Amino acid sequence: MECLVQSLTKSSLYCSTITTTILSSTKPVSLYNPPKLNSSLHCHRPLFLGFSTALSPPFRLTSTGLLATPDRQLSVGDSTETSEWAMQDFYSLRRDVETVSKRVEEIRASVGLKQLEEELADLESAAADGSFWDDRARAQQTLMSLTDVKDKIKLLSEFKTQVEDAETIVNLTEEIDSVDGALLGEASIIVRELNKALDRFELTQLFAGPYDKEGAVVYITAGAGGTDAQDWADMLLRMYVRWGEKQRYKTRVVEKSLGEEAGIKSATIEMEGRYAYGYLSGEKGTHRIVRQSPFNAKGLRQTSFSAVEVMPLLPDESIDVEIPEEELEISFTRAGGKGGQNVNKVETAVRITHIPTGVAVRCTEERSQLANKIKALSRLKAKLLVIAEEQRASEIKQIRGDTVKAEWGQQIRNYVFHPYKLVKDVRTGFETSDIASVMDGELDLFIKGYLKYKYSEAMVAASTK
Amino acid sequence: MRLGFPRPSLSTFSPILFHANPGRPNTCSSKCLIQPKPQTPLFLRPPTHSVTLSELRKWQNWAKTLASSVGSNFIDADNSPDTILLHRELNWLIEDALENPKPLLTQLGTDCNDEGMVMNLRAELGDLYELWKRRIEERRPFQYVVGCEHWRDLVLSVEEGVLIPRPETELIVDLVTDLVKGDHGELREGLWADLGTGSGALAIGIGRVLGTCGRVIATDLSPVAVAVAAYNVQRYNLQNKIEIKLGSWFEPLKDVKGQLVGLVSNPPYIPSDHISGLQAEVAKHEPRLALDGGADGMDDLLHLCHGATSMLKPGGFFAFETNGEKQCKSLVHYMQNESKGSFCDVSIVSDFAGKQRFVTGFKARPFVNNLHTSCISS
Repeated sequence: MECLVQSLTKSSLYCSTITTTILSSTKPVSLYNPPKLNSSLHCHRPLFLGFSTALSPPFRLTSTGLLATPDRQLSVGDSTETSEWAMQDFYSLRRDVETVSKRVEEIRASVGLKQLEEELADLESAAADGSFWDDRARAQQTLMSLTDVKDKIKLLSEFKTQVEDAETIVNLTEEIDSVDGALLGEASIIVRELNKALDRFELTQLFAGPYDKEGAVVYITAGAGGTDAQDWADMLLRMYVRWGEKQRYKTRVVEKSLGEEAGIKSATIEMEGRYAYGYLSGEKGTHRIVRQSPFNAKGLRQTSFSAVEVMPLLPDESIDVEIPEEELEISFTRAGGKGGQNVNKVETAVRITHIPTGVAVRCTEERSQLANKIKALSRLKAKLLVIAEEQRASEIKQIRGDTVKAEWGQQIRNYVFHPYKLVKDVRTGFETSDIASVMDGELDLFIKGYLKYKYSEAMVAASTK
Repeated sequence: MRLGFPRPSLSTFSPILFHANPGRPNTCSSKCLIQPKPQTPLFLRPPTHSVTLSELRKWQNWAKTLASSVGSNFIDADNSPDTILLHRELNWLIEDALENPKPLLTQLGTDCNDEGMVMNLRAELGDLYELWKRRIEERRPFQYVVGCEHWRDLVLSVEEGVLIPRPETELIVDLVTDLVKGDHGELREGLWADLGTGSGALAIGIGRVLGTCGRVIATDLSPVAVAVAAYNVQRYNLQNKIEIKLGSWFEPLKDVKGQLVGLVSNPPYIPSDHISGLQAEVAKHEPRLALDGGADGMDDLLHLCHGATSMLKPGGFFAFETNGEKQCKSLVHYMQNESKGSFCDVSIVSDFAGKQRFVTGFKARPFVNNLHTSCISS
């Protein structure tokens, strides 16, 4: 507050600058909100909205943060470098605050805050139950969803407090009829960050798939084309690793098989973190590069392909299978009529049936009955594991869908390095010429674009049904 | 097909081929002063004989062919092992005879580049020919061939003159294990007896589940059995816990009368006239002393039953193996009538094949308490 008062006189000095820049601006945009400004500023109406380079040395087009929309951040400035705030900036900030406030309200309404709170209460009472830990797996699941709901509620209330902070600054500025660069800068940062967070939140709302919350495993395979394709696969590997690191996912290259001359034949990246699979699932497909081959003396233009497959990183089920004794039916058979002293046969067959599944194993080759029983039991466990594994495998197969072929006509994205620079997603049409940033892991716009595209496709499909 | 025996045995370990008179071997009385020296099982002998892989293969192929020639002849004749079981036995013989049996067992039938590879054997190759030939032609039990039997988690030395422990009998150890687990000390730390111990299987199995103060006395009438049982006890380092005594049933136990907390036995129970009809491995090779239970097979069971009344402490446990349902029922009948009031909680336990095999129970306490309301006497 003090600083606001102190800066009052200073701000009024900038009026003349503002006037000139406004006049030089070419795009007139009417300001729909009648400003409640001090009369000393009235002379500057009507105001023109828009950006002029002369006006805003402090404004710069910051690179987009995680999945932030480019069109939203353009209106905010970075105030720490300067406090030269013009009234137009204030108005545009005020507009941004109003927009974001509306957005927050919409999101809070659409998510159903009330329902969330009810859900939270239900989950909490479930977790407080005495028998809660009897079923460990279920308990864990309940706790997970409890955290989810809590996080969501917390996030939603954070949105509200942040938007309120920004509104307070705007209202304050209006009341005292002066512009404080530092304060307004703060507000603009809030708006910018809030927009990013809202984007992210909206996106997570798009993640409806059962594995979207999981971590991801990314498999990169070089297509045909020898060293060029293998080098391309290596570039993609670097790109995804960079992306993962930017998201602060625990990113590990768990497998890498090197090409003969350069690059890699294949690699596997594991990314641990929330929604990694949700974000990356759209990256599945063939990625095509067009460039002058660095491996070709003539520097001819070369097209190469690499396949990217993405799978959720599913938690390993415990290898140790414990089967309750009562689920086992153990029978010992010994061919030979009367048994006991009457018979001398080395065979001591043991048969164990797992009652719930009906899976049975028999062990005869060990030299004692007890040894046969132990072996049969471990064999049964292995068999049950294999069955569980097969179940999982068919599930994984479902998730994976068709195999990705690293060849012509299958690509989801083109990366053209030569003769011009362009990265273009074939599916969404999104493109950028900043190929260097993309290769540095700036994939958010592509990822977000695809998710929205997928979402709208699904909506269209649903509405036409 | 060549089934001949190509080389004469010159092994210094020829005792493994020593073959005592089948039927009633070594039935010298308890007055026998010189204890027979037990044989070392094949798998414990030093691997001092070398042989090339190709020589061993040759033997293996010969042995397989010999086993295959049996087909189902044995099983048709007297329910003896068929070719499949004999092949399994052959693998186990290789396992016991070789210092490192893996190469031969895993490369079965596959081409190995190194036919000249030298392997170490625990017996001369010639002996292996002779051993397998006798297994097939004389129907000598496999366990006597290799000198051991895998029983529970134990590997027990056996030889002619000692009954080969049967898998059914393993259950008695399970019964005792369950019993001492829930016990507060009396049974776990008390004195047990295994009568007619043979190889010492039951004594060792029980000795390993008793507490630190628990003891087992094992008796046998056969000096060979006593020697073998003592050898096995030594091998499992239980000599402080298990005492082997030579003598008939309760005879060596006179000084512990009424002190036993447990009594187990797998006495001879086969009716005399059944023996000749048993599979050749049993009838021709195992000691008749350990099999023949008299006219109806009940002679020794009844003797044990009778002795148990005076030898067991009140509350003491007993478990006897029988020939099946008929003997179980008649034994229970005997306890309910002849020794009325002596036992309680008498029950019949089936073996894993579902045959009524064991009779178990407790010596009644003088004042029948609530725990034993199901006493036969009441």
